[in-house]
Amino acid sequence: MNSLKEKIERCRQFFSELAPQVKDAQGVEELRQQFFSRKKGHLTLLFEEFKTLSPEEKKAYGRELNELKAEIQNRLTELEQKFQEKASERLIDDLTLPGRKLYWGAAHPITLFQREIERIFISMGFSVEEGPEIETDYYNFEALNFPPHHPARDSWDTLYINDKLLLRTHTSPVQIRVMEKKKPPIRIIIPGKVFRRETPDPTHLPMFYQVEGLVVDRGITFAHLKGTLEYFIKALFGEKIRLRFRPSFFPFTEPSAEVDIECIVCGGQDPACRVCGGSGWKEILGAGMVDPQVFKNVSIDPEIYSGWAFGLGIDRTAMFAFQIPEIRQFYENDLRFLRQFNRR
Amino acid sequence: MKISYEWLKEYVNLSLSPQEVAECLNRIGLMVENISSFEDDTVFEIETYANRPDTLGHLGVARELATLLGLNLKIKKWPLKESPQTTAEIVDISILDPQLCPRYCGLVVRGVKVGPSPEWLRKRIEAVGLRSINNVVDVSNYVCFSLGQPIHTFDLSRLKGNKIKIRRARKGETLRTLEGSTVELSPEMLVIADESTPVALAGIIGGEESGITESTRDVFIESANFDPVSIRLTAKRLGLSTDASYRFERGADPEAAPVAAVMAASLLCEFGGRVSKGLLDVYPAPRKPRSVTLRLKRINELLGVEIDPEFVTRTLSSLGLKLKEQSPGVWVAEIPSFRVDLEREADLIEEVARFYGYDLIPSVVTPAFSFELPVNRTRDRIWRLKEILFHHGFDEVINFSFADPEKETLWQTGFQPIKLQNPISSRLSILRTSLLPGLVENAVWNFNREAEGVHIFEVGNIYYWEDEDLHRESLYLGILSTGLRSGRSWNEPEKETDFFVLKGAVEDILHYLGYLPFSFEQVEHPFFEPGQALQVRVKNEPVGHLGLLNRNLVRQHDLEHPAYAAEINLEELFKNQPRSFKFEPIPRFPGTSRDLSFLVDEHITYQQIHQQLEKLNLPLLERFLIYDRFKGKSLPPGKVSFSVRFYFRHEARTIQAEEVDRIMQEIISQLKSSLNIQLR
Repeated sequence: MNSLKEKIERCRQFFSELAPQVKDAQGVEELRQQFFSRKKGHLTLLFEEFKTLSPEEKKAYGRELNELKAEIQNRLTELEQKFQEKASERLIDDLTLPGRKLYWGAAHPITLFQREIERIFISMGFSVEEGPEIETDYYNFEALNFPPHHPARDSWDTLYINDKLLLRTHTSPVQIRVMEKKKPPIRIIIPGKVFRRETPDPTHLPMFYQVEGLVVDRGITFAHLKGTLEYFIKALFGEKIRLRFRPSFFPFTEPSAEVDIECIVCGGQDPACRVCGGSGWKEILGAGMVDPQVFKNVSIDPEIYSGWAFGLGIDRTAMFAFQIPEIRQFYENDLRFLRQFNRR
Repeated sequence: MKISYEWLKEYVNLSLSPQEVAECLNRIGLMVENISSFEDDTVFEIETYANRPDTLGHLGVARELATLLGLNLKIKKWPLKESPQTTAEIVDISILDPQLCPRYCGLVVRGVKVGPSPEWLRKRIEAVGLRSINNVVDVSNYVCFSLGQPIHTFDLSRLKGNKIKIRRARKGETLRTLEGSTVELSPEMLVIADESTPVALAGIIGGEESGITESTRDVFIESANFDPVSIRLTAKRLGLSTDASYRFERGADPEAAPVAAVMAASLLCEFGGRVSKGLLDVYPAPRKPRSVTLRLKRINELLGVEIDPEFVTRTLSSLGLKLKEQSPGVWVAEIPSFRVDLEREADLIEEVARFYGYDLIPSVVTPAFSFELPVNRTRDRIWRLKEILFHHGFDEVINFSFADPEKETLWQTGFQPIKLQNPISSRLSILRTSLLPGLVENAVWNFNREAEGVHIFEVGNIYYWEDEDLHRESLYLGILSTGLRSGRSWNEPEKETDFFVLKGAVEDILHYLGYLPFSFEQVEHPFFEPGQALQVRVKNEPVGHLGLLNRNLVRQHDLEHPAYAAEINLEELFKNQPRSFKFEPIPRFPGTSRDLSFLVDEHITYQQIHQQLEKLNLPLLERFLIYDRFKGKSLPPGKVSFSVRFYFRHEARTIQAEEVDRIMQEIISQLKSSLNIQLR
């Protein structure tokens, strides 16, 4: 006679053969019926048989039988869960619901635009230099060939800290600091915050960003200035943009130039254009050949070396590029403004 | 500066339309910003430069056009109707400070009938935006806007003792100006005085007392040259800017002084005047003309284009320079006195370039023979740090470097703020000593505009006095998180931000930038609520703080939401050498994990548990992770429950269950003995 022990073992083996063949939740239910059905379930039958045993035999097999029951129940629960999960994975009742968003923070538009400019110059072998925002009169003016008490200083209206210190009105002092430390060849751009004593209005603020560039080497010409800045402006505004160079005045360059680009808003077609005033041109940067006096101030011989420099307002250029109506929007930090630039 | 088209024609025969003239002016850098019509004339608004006082009159602009167009400049003659009396018999001119007044010319015109200007003069005066006052005043403006040489006219009868003294003002002297205000004079200011008192502020404005009136008959014409710096300092000090001071501070032409005097006298003759004989011209130290050497080779080297030497001589001669060829392609140029800007060879090269045309110079990309390796890694680090913050959902802001001293004081930043001498306003009168007040203001701005949460950061300088005369600017990072987190969706409930959102961002910055090891220490700090602040340390040196901002403080900015903020001194942080990246091979053998849940006294912090585990220094413990922490009714009072998962691995073989059991026992006994944990 097959002992109950053998039957328990066979039942276990049988279950372990059947379980892996189950494919879905319905199969799990069928398997459960096969073992637990009230009349014919394999386990139900084993328990029926168990009832007939003597107390000694009950003692011998009781534990084993209960263990088997627990085992099978656990396994069935596991299987049930497995197929339930799978069902929820597969069956989505509304695919048109929006996907889960991850919020990615936005860089400030000044940062973005500055990086774009930096990238263009870095690709031409320029390196990035920075310098202090609190400066001395010497670095901000005198070394750059602004005579003391000269009206040329009026265009660089200055915020002073005391008789010695001021907030730099341009990033040009860094040109001086670099040329003092390093001999040519020099090929740098200088981005940074600058300050002017300007009453806030739609196009002026007491603080804004500037980027300047400086090249010093043997044989540098005005033609190089033109070629490089043309490349830069085309890289920034597109191959087709038209630009013009016209004479200007800066104390630290000679000859000096201003560069206008064609108005991307009206293309010169609107006589009342808010951006170009109908001229069709928008002034974008100032440039020139480094003044020989500036070279003398940093002990570079202007008979051996020549160079060009330029400066551009990042805020103003970004305003023009993105058609931002007011410069102060950059510093209000309204999230509805800032977050748009995440799509840039 | 307004320039009249018809007025220009007095000096050059223009056959071009006003529009064409404007294009010509643009080409040579006299930028026409606006063109308007005035009666039958056209007026150009021209941008002029601080170094070109010669373009502050129609003659100078005409000279530029004549050079560009290859035309001759018309020089007008100014005939005088002279009276027998000599000027010296009528007035006595003495320059007491020749430094500040290098030249002074005077003429007297007697019998002038003061009255309305004739039509032609009124038109000229009004075309350049001035008001026609009377024929005498209009004549002086006409001369000034023709030649760029300011002149002044006095009522001769008002000059006491017929004496003209050009001297410094005495302390306590005052002058009632033509504008009707009284100015206090001081000894650094130059005045024109008669026998007793100042009658004009030299080169800036005349006195009311000696001015031309309807009853004036005899006019004294002053045409002088004054020191630019002195004029500028006086005008600035007194807050006065006139057409005269604007020209003198840029450097007027001493040679124009006698010409302007004669021109004015000639014009006054048309109103019945008779001119005194002999111009009085006091010019103690006549200026010698400057000479500059110009090399054709240098022109070509600097401009990057071959320029015809004939073009160089033609252009510069037309501009009034006298060129002598020293050797082929080398000239010595004598500079006319009206061109104060031409001092060096480079200045002359600019003139050549201007008239050659910037458009005709070729465009060539700057060659480079060597590139440098970037040495400054700070910028890369800052960008990486920003990227980490973007990933954590923080938006970047940029605030003004200025701060409101009243609000800044509340923050007790501990830094001595730097005050501005001439701020835009009292609310922007110091430089910020912390980034956080600005971030709080940004939060308020955005909450007032429908934002539900504000998660922002700024990288920028703070400024302070380190010592009495040692200023510092220091790069900081400020982070602020307040209100609802972003990213709410139909299957994600809305969540308030919390301290750990902020801390996670700070930890990630330190971790990914390699500033290891970092730690946090609980501190008290005026920015934060009591008991709600941590100091951030890298290699045990403090680099910043984070915590729950002090509620009373943020309420002063009208921020009602709880706000979490961090401020990190990036300069201090970047002084540390970041741990360099080292590739580690992917583990070849499987690891295993064990969970441990335990109770501990509630005053025990996670950091203490962490430190105990680190102390064990277990080579097979790869890492561990806290995955649950709670307090509550189900636990004994005063206890907190932690659950930690431990990950084990042997790098050279599969790890054995028995060794893991052993290590777990070690961990448990360490935690039991040091922190008295009870297993759950």
